[in-house]
Amino acid sequence: MTRRSDLAAGLAWTGPFWIGFALFTVIPVVLSIAYGFTQYDLIEAPLPVGLDNYREVARDAVFWRALANTGLFAFASVALNTVVALGLAALLEQKLRGREFVRALVFAPTLVPISAVAVGWLWLLHRDDGLVNAGLAAVGVQGPDWLGDARWALASLVFMSAWVVGAQVVVYTAALRDVPKSLLEAAAIDGAGPLSRFVRVTLPTISPAIAFNTIVSAIWALQVFALPLIMTRGGPQNSTLVVSMYVYQNAFQYGRMGYASTLAWIQFALTCALTLVAVRIARTRVTSRAGAGL
Amino acid sequence: MLTRRTFTNAAGGLLAAGALGYAFVPRRARWQHQVPAGRVALRYWEKWTGPEGDAVQRVVDRFNASQDRSFVVRLPVPETYSKAMVAIGGGDPPDLVGLFSWNVPYFAESGALMPLDDLDLGAYAPAVAELLTHDGRTWAGVNTCYTLALYANRAHLAEAGADTIADGGELPRTLDELDAIAERLIRRDARGRLERAGFLQAVPSWWPYLWPLTHGARLFDEDERRVTCDSDGSVAAYEWVSRTAERHGRADSLGFARGFERSNLSPADPFLTGKVSMTVQGPWMANFARRYAPDLDYAVAPMPVAASVYDPERPQGLLEADVIGIPRDCPHPDEALEFLAFTQRPEVQAELCAEHCKPSPMRVKPDGFFEDHPNPFAAVHDAIVHSPNAAVLPRHRAWKGYSDLIVPAFERIWTGADARATLGDVARRAQALVDRADAARARREERA
Repeated sequence: MTRRSDLAAGLAWTGPFWIGFALFTVIPVVLSIAYGFTQYDLIEAPLPVGLDNYREVARDAVFWRALANTGLFAFASVALNTVVALGLAALLEQKLRGREFVRALVFAPTLVPISAVAVGWLWLLHRDDGLVNAGLAAVGVQGPDWLGDARWALASLVFMSAWVVGAQVVVYTAALRDVPKSLLEAAAIDGAGPLSRFVRVTLPTISPAIAFNTIVSAIWALQVFALPLIMTRGGPQNSTLVVSMYVYQNAFQYGRMGYASTLAWIQFALTCALTLVAVRIARTRVTSRAGAGL
Repeated sequence: MLTRRTFTNAAGGLLAAGALGYAFVPRRARWQHQVPAGRVALRYWEKWTGPEGDAVQRVVDRFNASQDRSFVVRLPVPETYSKAMVAIGGGDPPDLVGLFSWNVPYFAESGALMPLDDLDLGAYAPAVAELLTHDGRTWAGVNTCYTLALYANRAHLAEAGADTIADGGELPRTLDELDAIAERLIRRDARGRLERAGFLQAVPSWWPYLWPLTHGARLFDEDERRVTCDSDGSVAAYEWVSRTAERHGRADSLGFARGFERSNLSPADPFLTGKVSMTVQGPWMANFARRYAPDLDYAVAPMPVAASVYDPERPQGLLEADVIGIPRDCPHPDEALEFLAFTQRPEVQAELCAEHCKPSPMRVKPDGFFEDHPNPFAAVHDAIVHSPNAAVLPRHRAWKGYSDLIVPAFERIWTGADARATLGDVARRAQALVDRADAARARREERA
């Protein structure tokens, strides 16, 4: 077999993927760049408008609100999910009875479709009949209108996002099991307490896993869509309107595919930029077992 | 010699060829399976499901039984307008599509619908006929219409001492009368939270843009192409909304209203369960009352308005229609037109409207229309259809974006924001949407 025939065979076998990738990813992506410079409503031919869409973005107060909401959601949910997932993983590494069952329970919500999770939480967070407020009332606290009050709605979505940390817990569990016992024992002999060992030995050792989880969940959080769409539809007072929802509204409800393409590319650029920053930070702060950077 | 590699490649090639062949073999789509042989299959996208969908299906069945040339298959499609937009743009439209009348300007300007200039507009109530046209041409047929009116729980009104009303007298006609009665109907629980409201503009939350009508104001000046949600009348209307919120407790009443967001028109509907005593609703409420609260004693009247614009002969109210159109480049326009014409027959509309508990969109109604109508208050809705004061939603393609600006503004006003400033902000932003859409249209026309 020659090198050329190897290539031909490889292309033939992977051909269906390349065709699908070109049709459903590459071409739409390229077209969306072009549509970003047009007024396009899907029905009529695109009308070139130059940089008008980008100028409009700069003046669009709803977009800036959505961007701020998205940033806040991403920052808060990544921070909360990291703490919760790490805490759960550390807890589940203790020799406790029934921990395998609890581990399965922690992972189970990730298997439930997000729309079902959202509807379930809608009822849990209901102001009058919700379980959360009923629980708070039992201890004498009057719970707020979690999803109806503009001051609480985004926080409620952040809180809810911690419900699906199962996948992160799995990654942290694997990383925790990889922490060399010898290092922990040496630290203990040197007089380090449990907290000190966790902060000074365990955390640096699992820092690649933390970096990975942080970057992946940040990308997910910056594209959040279904949760606010189902639970709050962006309200109250646009307090939970996120960029993905605003892109969807413009594209399919207002018939402004050109403007939606512009918004989507800005969202993509911001996500890429933040990811690059995160990777850069990770390179300097994360240490692998061999002591090298990420 | 046949090597393993050659064999694998040959087998893979055959498999791929088979898959491609299978993909391109013409087959009948699943929706076509019910179409009898020899008849042209028509796809009809319509929004309704449940009993309302069943009623449309009966119309479809009657048409299918009335001739043997074509066969309509109704496909329930949620958010029909956005999906139709994608389907038409993508070159795979259905043969018929059910839309809202506020979609007509957008679809008409985009050339997404076939013009229906042969439709006899004289057959419709004048206000309904206007909803079917845009820029002097007809773009859709009607498929029922509705107006919004005040629904009131008689038992609650009697309990609050509004005896005249409970005895069959008139419901509140002006906002002052409405507020006075609503105030007496409020019930709070031990914690001081709303347990029952007399009347809240936020229940249901579907029409945050409705309230300017109570002061005779409109949201858009079509001639001037100007957004008018910040007019004095409109500001006064939203100040009235704000006062209602304040009386009920701004946060508490909003939370109370939001609690029903997913239960409207269900067995847990706030009006049907007595959580609100009066509400502005469409005629379909009669259908749901019959199903979920058959013992509910209620009455219906035109929406109360400010005393300065009250005119019993010319009730105010929002009029909208469900319409049916034929998408551009649909596969079978002639057959689709035949079905559309069938749906426009007065007796077909009368039957469909009755089953939906709605008034008739036609100028002349069949004899006994109201006597046989399952909605005992169909005549109230009908009077609004024929009122010169009936208002329609802004007939501009930017309306959806405009209305989405009003939603958070309504919530801000409800929670205490200044109505004039908030509406001024909405007007400025909505005007930009209108101007941009108009400018693009002008450019397209220049190019054409």
